[in-house]
Amino acid sequence: MRGAGYFLRIALGLIPFLLIACAGEEAGTVLRISGSALGAEGEVLTRQVGRFMAANPGVRVEIQRTPDDATQRHQLYVQWLNAHVGRPDILQLDVVWTAEFAAAGWVLPLDRFQPFTDDFVPATLAANRWQGRLFALPWFADVGMLYWRTDLMARAPASLDELARFARAGISDEVPRGIVWQGARYEGLVTVFLEVLGAFGGEILTKDGRVAVASPAGVRALDFLRGQIGSIAPPEVLTWHEEEARFAFQNGTSVFLRNWPYAYPLLSDRGKSKVAGKFAVAPMPAAPGGRPSAALGGAQLAINAHSRHPDLAWSLIAFLTAPEQMLERAKVVGQYPPRRSLWSDPRLAEALGVPPGTLSDIRGIVDAAIPRPVTPVYSELSEALQIHLHRALSGQVSSEEALRQAAREMKAILLQSGLPPSPGWAGGDGRGGPRG
Amino acid sequence: MRGLSDRRLAWAFVAPALAVLALVALFPLGWAAWESLHRHDLRMPWLGRPFVGLENYADIAADIRFRAALGHTVFFTAASVALEILLGLVLALAMDRTFRGRGFVRAALLLPWALPTVVAALLWRFLFDSQAGIVNSILNEPLVWFVHPFAAWVPVVLADVWKTTPFVALLLLAGLQGIPRDLYESAAVDGVGPWTRFRRVTLPLLRPAILVALIFRTLDAFRVFDLIYVLTGGGPGTATEPIALYTFNTLFQNLRFGYGAALSVVVFLVTFGLALLYIRLLRRQE
Amino acid sequence: MKRVLPVVVLALLLAFALFPFLWAVAASLRPEAELFRGPSLLPERLTAEHYAALFEERDFWVPIRNSLVVAGTTTLFCVIVGSLAAYALARLEMRGKSAILGLILAVSMFPQISIVSPLFLLLRSLGLIDTYPGLILPYLTFAMPLTVWLLVGYFRQIPADLEEAARVDGATRWQVFTRVVLPLAVPGLAATGILTFLYCWNEFLFALSFTLGPERQTVPVAIALFRGQYQVPWGQILAASVVATAPVAFLVLLFQRRIVQGLTAGALKG
Repeated sequence: MRGAGYFLRIALGLIPFLLIACAGEEAGTVLRISGSALGAEGEVLTRQVGRFMAANPGVRVEIQRTPDDATQRHQLYVQWLNAHVGRPDILQLDVVWTAEFAAAGWVLPLDRFQPFTDDFVPATLAANRWQGRLFALPWFADVGMLYWRTDLMARAPASLDELARFARAGISDEVPRGIVWQGARYEGLVTVFLEVLGAFGGEILTKDGRVAVASPAGVRALDFLRGQIGSIAPPEVLTWHEEEARFAFQNGTSVFLRNWPYAYPLLSDRGKSKVAGKFAVAPMPAAPGGRPSAALGGAQLAINAHSRHPDLAWSLIAFLTAPEQMLERAKVVGQYPPRRSLWSDPRLAEALGVPPGTLSDIRGIVDAAIPRPVTPVYSELSEALQIHLHRALSGQVSSEEALRQAAREMKAILLQSGLPPSPGWAGGDGRGGPRG
Repeated sequence: MRGLSDRRLAWAFVAPALAVLALVALFPLGWAAWESLHRHDLRMPWLGRPFVGLENYADIAADIRFRAALGHTVFFTAASVALEILLGLVLALAMDRTFRGRGFVRAALLLPWALPTVVAALLWRFLFDSQAGIVNSILNEPLVWFVHPFAAWVPVVLADVWKTTPFVALLLLAGLQGIPRDLYESAAVDGVGPWTRFRRVTLPLLRPAILVALIFRTLDAFRVFDLIYVLTGGGPGTATEPIALYTFNTLFQNLRFGYGAALSVVVFLVTFGLALLYIRLLRRQE
Repeated sequence: MKRVLPVVVLALLLAFALFPFLWAVAASLRPEAELFRGPSLLPERLTAEHYAALFEERDFWVPIRNSLVVAGTTTLFCVIVGSLAAYALARLEMRGKSAILGLILAVSMFPQISIVSPLFLLLRSLGLIDTYPGLILPYLTFAMPLTVWLLVGYFRQIPADLEEAARVDGATRWQVFTRVVLPLAVPGLAATGILTFLYCWNEFLFALSFTLGPERQTVPVAIALFRGQYQVPWGQILAASVVATAPVAFLVLLFQRRIVQGLTAGALKG
């Protein structure tokens, strides 16, 4: 049996390969959570996860790293979830991804866990509902804010007209710019436009999912932004993202800044910022027919539809979104909690490091938060809108023409996707903020 | 009696391999063809998987990006294969002799071929890197190679030529070694110069080997994926995107599996068409 | 002149073949700061920091293990199953031999991209994405035809009279196969195994499509997806490339003659 002996020996020698190849998963329950884990965020997450593990012996929680760039993270999520693999169990979602993942069947509806949702800011919940069911729980909130120079005006502008007037009045040799915002052709531009659109009483998609951006309110909003370019806003804003705008304001060269909360502590840094102590925040004011609006951003936590431990995943989510943990996050990272009760809690002002007066300003902004259209094809719609908004702002077409073309493309996208309109997002209601 | 049990044994021996191939190669190919007749967007399960006939193929015919990708693939194949055959021939001729260290030379030449394509791509990406790369430090006017739609092809073609010329050379060398030496001797006796000898004696007898090299390299170049994915990612934009990469992006970035399946089938048909063409040429040779 | 020209040409082409790799080795031993300052012929300092970081920070053992398992298992399976098929096709009488051989050749010419999508759906429904079997199965598409093709060539080279003699002595076909043919074919089996292992080790598209994370990614995928926080981590990428190439280079050096034989025999006879 010599020949067969050769075979046998080789086969036996390589059996370890086969064994490893067929090896199963490790023993013990492992939960994997994927989210922002860089710097302070990573620090606070690790700490909180550690407390959860201490309270739940036998469970190990691993933080799965993902790229920081939102587009890259999104692409990675799509790959993972599309493969129907149970890892990671919990995902941190950007506010515009929930509808997409919910409609694709990639994340679990959370209603069966009976989450106590009354405490959440309604706008944050609305962004996470698809076809009436809740698919993710808000974790922290971001809102678009208007930063204004307290040394150049007595109070925040109460209307868009006042905004333009104050901006013009505040321009001087030391402060050559009236207002700076994010005007590059990317998602940030849509959030800027959304706020001005809401100020004029318009919306991108209606309650029942129809395209409404090419309305008179839309044209007025776009015209308002266009009018700023070259007069109170420098043409460079059309290439700016968050950081460029922040620097312009931080160096004291602009009367107004539209940006996110992350800029607040940086602008207050007396060592680096020329405007430390000389600014405050307010929501983008309204024009006649509209209301003050703040674009809603932030993150939420969802459960992988193929997770092997959905109940355990839920308990971790419930833990991470509990008030104490949110407060800790506010303290360590400066991120706003989406829980209404915390906004009346005296500890929040201390955690965020702002005086109570500023806290009520911020509360007013969170009040005014509006989510972007809640639809599974949001990224395609946004892409179409961005292109035409930018063309109008750079003077290539009129506002009316730009919005008309954008609306046409957006309608085509919706038609092609065969989407049923979503009864989840209510355009008018759901705006009651922490005070509501 | 012996014949019968022979045959049964033969089939028993062949069956496992055939079964495996049927499962992992033939069945998927058939499935891809079937899938290509449906609309199947994995991000939109509510649309289901409706049968749409040849609609995907009609879309491909009108797809600008596909046409561009096809053009890129043809260009890449033509440029690379031409250079590889040429260089490979030169190399084979230079090696067609016995000398010391021949084994080492062969091994050294085989190294580029044996590397993972990914590694080859990374090496050449490094050489052409705008900051750390050596190419830019030699040039008077450094270029950001990977940002220009045309310049980006240079490292791509070079990397492919670098990696596969040894294989071509070895093929041609084997062909060269099959040429009887007395033909050369009689040519020398007739006073024929080296260039004429090459044209009249070597080249004709080398035709089969060259054809085989052409077939293999053309088919491989047409299917190029690893090299371009790592070297340029298809960029800048989609300027260097070949059809295999376009198909991959359609499938795994856009999750359009129906359309992607149709693209897969088209790639398959084109590749097969080429293969059949070549085989017929080869038959005609013999 | 006539004698010198080929040598010069050879030397040039040899340098061309080796330069990128040697340059990478040199660069992988230079500290990070130097790398971005621009290339110089002689490095100022030599450091093993990239190699250390590779294994300490990036856990490069994991992709190596994954590649070994997948390539090893695939090779083992293919050599066993493939040698059976190859022997039948080389020596035994059966109808449809050329059809089967043609089919095997055809499958080896399948563009991988053409079967990636159905394989993905199939593996997904079996729950095999991001697992070892989920890679081994697709690898069989190219490894099996390769193995069979090469082994047919080797088996044909074994003189038929040896087998005949054994049969005359009363051995069954199976005994002839296992006792006479296989031992003689060991060099061929080894060469085939090496080539198959090489192809599996270098494979990229399937590994990219069917694995999701560092736990199951193979070496080529792991290297291709190296990301640094701020800039491209060339030092580590090149170090990883050297590490990934080392086993390949080693095998090639040792077995270059057999490899060349296998390649050219298979190609030319086709």
